[in-house]
Amino acid sequence: VSAGARQGEPGGPLAGLVGHLFRHAAGEMVAALARLMGPARLDLAEEAVQDALLRALETWPFSGLPDNPRGWLFQVARNRALDRIRHETMSRDALAAEGVVDLARRGDGDPARFGDESLAMMFMCCDPALGRAAHVALTLKLVSGFSVEEIADASLERAPAVAQRLVRAKREIRERRLALEIPLPRELAARLASVLEVIYLLFNEGYAAHGGESLVRADLCDEGIRLARLLAGNPQTDRPAVEALLALMLLQSSRLPARVDALGDLTLLAEQDRRRWDRRLMAEGLRHMERAAAGPEVTPYHLEAAIAACHATARDAASTDWRAILRLYDDLMALKPSPVVALNRAVAVAMAEGAAAGIAVLAAIGDDPALAQYHLLPAVRAGLERRAGRPADAIRHYRRALALRASAPERRFLERQVAELEGELSGTLRR
Amino acid sequence: MPQFLVLARDNGERAQKMAAMSPEEMQRIMGKYMAWTQRMRETGHLQGANKLRDGEGRVVRRGEGKLAVTDGPFAESKEVVGGYWLLEAPSYAAALELVKDHPHTELWPNTSLEIRQLHDYTQR
Repeated sequence: VSAGARQGEPGGPLAGLVGHLFRHAAGEMVAALARLMGPARLDLAEEAVQDALLRALETWPFSGLPDNPRGWLFQVARNRALDRIRHETMSRDALAAEGVVDLARRGDGDPARFGDESLAMMFMCCDPALGRAAHVALTLKLVSGFSVEEIADASLERAPAVAQRLVRAKREIRERRLALEIPLPRELAARLASVLEVIYLLFNEGYAAHGGESLVRADLCDEGIRLARLLAGNPQTDRPAVEALLALMLLQSSRLPARVDALGDLTLLAEQDRRRWDRRLMAEGLRHMERAAAGPEVTPYHLEAAIAACHATARDAASTDWRAILRLYDDLMALKPSPVVALNRAVAVAMAEGAAAGIAVLAAIGDDPALAQYHLLPAVRAGLERRAGRPADAIRHYRRALALRASAPERRFLERQVAELEGELSGTLRR
Repeated sequence: MPQFLVLARDNGERAQKMAAMSPEEMQRIMGKYMAWTQRMRETGHLQGANKLRDGEGRVVRRGEGKLAVTDGPFAESKEVVGGYWLLEAPSYAAALELVKDHPHTELWPNTSLEIRQLHDYTQR
């Protein structure tokens, strides 16, 4: 009845349904229930949560939104879990011996306290005993509330493969009796590293796909930021590396509104309309950068965030401090060398020292087999050839890029470049 | 003002699809229903609504003088009333207009909405 009365209030009844309420609540509830019943009963927790969401979907269209949607969902999920656990016909003592907290005696779920449980779940999903692919799938399923199909969509895997991976990983969790806890301080740094790697991976996966066909993949950026915020919001897990990764993702996201396509960062940054950058996200990112600087620790996230900050704080493309960016890439190459970092460094060299210098660096890394199928290598080379005044070479390299795997918006970009250059060339000839 | 009962008829296909949905999909669908219900409420048309509990009904029949009680109907049945909204509208045509953009039939294939006017006993 009260739900009905509230519906007419300003702000609207749908205010409680904003964002990804169901998705996030699903993750929080699975974590909370698994904590109560033990990680061996993950499936049961997931079923109870699915039941609760289903009950909401069945009844809320008629009853209207309850006063406290999260509390409502949690209570139903808890009751469902209780029903199901009673079906196991285990005695209370047997359950207690297994470390199962007496569900019936726990008070109502307080959503404000769900954070800790989600963090504990994050650490369990990213336990080093499980593989990297399992880390990603488990985190998306259990912490982020993605379905198997949505995970498949996000990771470009087939749904049955994801489902199988999840079944295996959950069996590992049971057999190894992995703990659903935030690690002790002495283990935290190492355990945190694998959690941050997963968050970084999610974010990059989403960032690279942004503007592509799939909406779910774009959601990955938001989800990466949400998970990092959870870590940063808890004094136990708020370490400089967490702040640095959060800063990096916020700064990168602040540029998303102006990004025309996936090649934006490498080639079109200069042409972006900086008025479209999200100043609020940028300011938040810079605040977290300051917090990341507390303490002597410098992680690759620190360096990448600092590079993103150089771009974010430049008034316009021309005043970008490319020498500072190049120094940061040098540090990054020393700390965590990778072919992709080397490629990005080559761009910085070109911007700081001219196209010829950049091309020389590219030539030196061009033989790396890891980059053989990477379309951005010839695409970057093409851009530099064009700047060096060699349009025919530029066209040749753009065509090489087009022969490799690239997303649809990227292909459109590359084809546009070729068409432009061909237009220029034929114009020159006619003259 | 005449009152109209809008009966939501569901089927087993819908129940199956819903059970397999992701939280995100569920929320999207929920949002559509809630938006419609809110519109009805804000415009003063909505008089009430209720969900009927699924899977536990009883059907009472009397055959050859004997009372026969069976369980059902169940959601797996072809068409079972899942719930209703009670609307106030000046005429059938007006009620129909309100229900035209109801999400139920759009979201679920082979479901239906049935509109029935309540008899008004004050009108002789």
